[in-house]
Amino acid sequence: MRYEIRIDGHMSDILTEAFPELEHVVMSGQTVLFGSVVDEAQLFGLLARCQSLGLRVVEMRRMPDD
Amino acid sequence: MTCRDMVVSAVVTGDRNTAHPAAGRVDPLGDPFLRTRFAVPSRPATFLPRRRLTQHLAEGLRTPLTMVNGSAGAGKTLLVADWTANLDRPVAWLTVEAEKQRPGTFWAYFLQALSACGTPLSDRVHCPADPNRVSRKVLSEIAEDLVGRDPAPIVVLDEFDRVSASEVAEQLEFVLQHAGSGLRLILVTRNEPMLSLHRYRAAGTLTEIRDAELALNPEEAAALLELHGLSLPADAVRSLVERTRGWAAGLRLCALAAQESPDPERYLKEFEADHSTVADFLLAEVLRRQPPATQDLLLRVSVLDRFCPDLVNRLTHRTDAALILAELHRDNAFVEQLGQGWYRLHPLFGEILQTHLRVRHPGLEPDLHRSAAQWMRRRGALPEALAHGAAADDWGFTAAAVVDDLAIGQFFTGLRSDDLNELFSRMGPEATGPATELVRAARDLAHSELDRGVAHLHHVEAWLSAETEDPAAAQLSWAFLEAVAARLTGSPARAEQAAETADEVRQDVPPHLLDKHPELSALLLTHLGSTRLWAGRYEDARAALSEAADCPGGILTVLPREESMGHLALIDYLDGWPGRAEHQALAAMTETERFSLPQPAGSGIERLVLAAVAVDRHELGRAQALLDEADELDLDTQDPVKAAGRAIATSRLHLARGNARAAMESVTPALNTAVASPWADSLERLVTSAVHLAEGRSETAAEVLRHLPDDQPTWTVEAARIQLAAGRTRAAIDLLDSVPAESRPGPAVTVRAALVRAQAAQVAGDTETARRFVAQALLLARRERLRRPFLDAGRWIRPLLATAPLRSLAAEWLVPGPVSGNGPGAAGPRPAPIVVQELSERERDVLQRLAQMMSTEEIAVDLYLSVNTVKTHLKSLYRKLAVNRRSEAVHRARDMRLL
Repeated sequence: MRYEIRIDGHMSDILTEAFPELEHVVMSGQTVLFGSVVDEAQLFGLLARCQSLGLRVVEMRRMPDD
Repeated sequence: MTCRDMVVSAVVTGDRNTAHPAAGRVDPLGDPFLRTRFAVPSRPATFLPRRRLTQHLAEGLRTPLTMVNGSAGAGKTLLVADWTANLDRPVAWLTVEAEKQRPGTFWAYFLQALSACGTPLSDRVHCPADPNRVSRKVLSEIAEDLVGRDPAPIVVLDEFDRVSASEVAEQLEFVLQHAGSGLRLILVTRNEPMLSLHRYRAAGTLTEIRDAELALNPEEAAALLELHGLSLPADAVRSLVERTRGWAAGLRLCALAAQESPDPERYLKEFEADHSTVADFLLAEVLRRQPPATQDLLLRVSVLDRFCPDLVNRLTHRTDAALILAELHRDNAFVEQLGQGWYRLHPLFGEILQTHLRVRHPGLEPDLHRSAAQWMRRRGALPEALAHGAAADDWGFTAAAVVDDLAIGQFFTGLRSDDLNELFSRMGPEATGPATELVRAARDLAHSELDRGVAHLHHVEAWLSAETEDPAAAQLSWAFLEAVAARLTGSPARAEQAAETADEVRQDVPPHLLDKHPELSALLLTHLGSTRLWAGRYEDARAALSEAADCPGGILTVLPREESMGHLALIDYLDGWPGRAEHQALAAMTETERFSLPQPAGSGIERLVLAAVAVDRHELGRAQALLDEADELDLDTQDPVKAAGRAIATSRLHLARGNARAAMESVTPALNTAVASPWADSLERLVTSAVHLAEGRSETAAEVLRHLPDDQPTWTVEAARIQLAAGRTRAAIDLLDSVPAESRPGPAVTVRAALVRAQAAQVAGDTETARRFVAQALLLARRERLRRPFLDAGRWIRPLLATAPLRSLAAEWLVPGPVSGNGPGAAGPRPAPIVVQELSERERDVLQRLAQMMSTEEIAVDLYLSVNTVKTHLKSLYRKLAVNRRSEAVHRARDMRLL
């Protein structure tokens, strides 16, 4: 499963290190974290990590596998 | 030593309630570090009291449940802390910190939090002893104890989002519902808890404070900035609120960063225009402006849940942490004070700082954990030492900490058993040394991996004999595990050797460690007793088991005590005392119930004993149900005594049902034990013999019985019965005569013996003697309701039972139907009444719950009745059933098919 998680605001390089399993790209006031997610458990773990780092998730969606 | 004393005395002066837990409820936490969990965090100097929110909270006291639900850094915790500080009623505060908060642990903390705030529950309420569960009974007790408290204690559960077990939410609802107005619960959480909130909302019994309400409005933001010495024009404040969306953590960081900046106003303007994520950006800013030493300190302490100056000095190689921490707490919101010199990082900042630490100092984290682990161990804080040791991946240290603390028994019992087992499941094979081998052995034995456990023990033995340096704790741990292995392998020599070694090295172990771990001795005695019982050394077994059963109470020893009682029940049963066995077995079950224990590995013996007793009474349905229960709960099939106990109950049930082949299959030994068990073997022979007899091979049947390995009267008498049935009257009587008079067997034996003699007399044509012996048997059996021996006796007994004097002795409990024709003057027991009065619907409800072994309190909760009402129903129920006790009521009701 591939997912992308959109975060409000530009994340610093340090903070993106907190998501080593995901790639990221910064654009128009948002940071998009994206990559493969093993299962739902990991997905919820990622969301919880966002929450505990005070990040605001504005969008999350599953991307078509390619 | 001195460090330890300091900590202990700090506890005593700091909090009397925690230092002296209610008698009967042993402090499950047992160390001072967790006390900070019950501390209300103090507010920093720059804290902004917010009246509109505290007012809402105050109104919330009208509803049983209040939920403060907001994102990280929304200011939830400090808001509730500020509000409770001004209340004139008890507030129990519990910060849920463990990553995995299991139900049993959660409720242990819950009870402890109530004690810590000076409103302990009564001693009646028992703390759960199993980390994974809490029984309905305990929850009912908690609710019952809270009912009617005025003022109701307020319980704040901070960071409730860390509770991952969904049962906890359901259990909280149960307690909340049944405590009535006796409890006010406040949940502080980052996400929606798994309570059925819609129901509370619909009923208007929930007060909610959510993100939108927690967000600071421009006036509040201005006031907050003011507290940081920043005065801004209204529109500037408004746009700041917009940029941070009123997020408390954001605004606070913002104020801190601006404060340090040469031109605060310009700085804030820049921040408004910036597109960074708020906390991330601002925290980096604030951090950057701290002196390098302080930055370094903050990064290093981010690996800790809580810290005090001494610990921070250790991690930072400084001496002035006290000063820096006090300053940090005063000046900004990173560092929260928990009282008595303990601090923690704000959870949000802690997370971000940890990320900074990993980036800036890769590889430093394990070192920090190791230092923290060593510090914690010196302070006697074992759980913390273990957690940090594991985080540092330093298994040699972590295992040694367990062994040196003498905590090895906690792999088998107590609130920490699962945590310990799980913690060490991450230990790789590369760690070596006696301590790691001991831990591996403990884990394997706790999971019934007998062969592997024994192999590890073997390695340790070689090590221990080579080592000379202070091995007392390791030796004692080894001896203990040897006793476990001895029990599971049915090896009495090994068990005695282990017990001897333990006695020798015990003197070299610091007494305070022995006091701290009563479970070690209790478990060891239980294993010793179990092994002796296996070997047929009943009196020696009874000695060890009685000592274990009498061990000081409390959570840590509840499992061995229950097991010992179960074993003692089995001995009573084997001696032919079903009534005593039943009593003892029920006592064992009550013990576990009180402490919410399930029947974990190695236990459940008492159910097997109860099943065997039920067979003797010809209550076959009940026997089957008990066996099913035991099977359901059973995790450990490797325990020889338990396997044999099951064989007894199962084979007798099969025999009672006339299924001899199935009986034989159930006694076939599957376990490989060091020595054979005389009673288990006798049982096997008797069942085998019974099968031969049932299939018409009386010669073979008699042959099998020659030289029974055990000379207990139980087996001798059964053998006599089979001999008689095989037509060997002389052999049967000789066997009976061989039972020494001083062995004083119980009624289950004497009844059968009398029946064998009766049958022998009957065969010889001496009906008068036969009748005399049957009368004797009836009198002996009546009190215990031992029906099975008469049903086993055969057809010859029926005409005898139909004759006058015997008939009245057998009436009701053995022979169905009321006594007729004898008149009221007839000798014998008073006829059991047929139900004279119909039971009311409520009485039936109560009766059904009685049959499920629910307590009066539980029935009350279940039926929404008061305890007194239930007691009234019980009384009239007893009257109508003509009984005096609940067990009798259930029996009578079953007999009368009311259940």
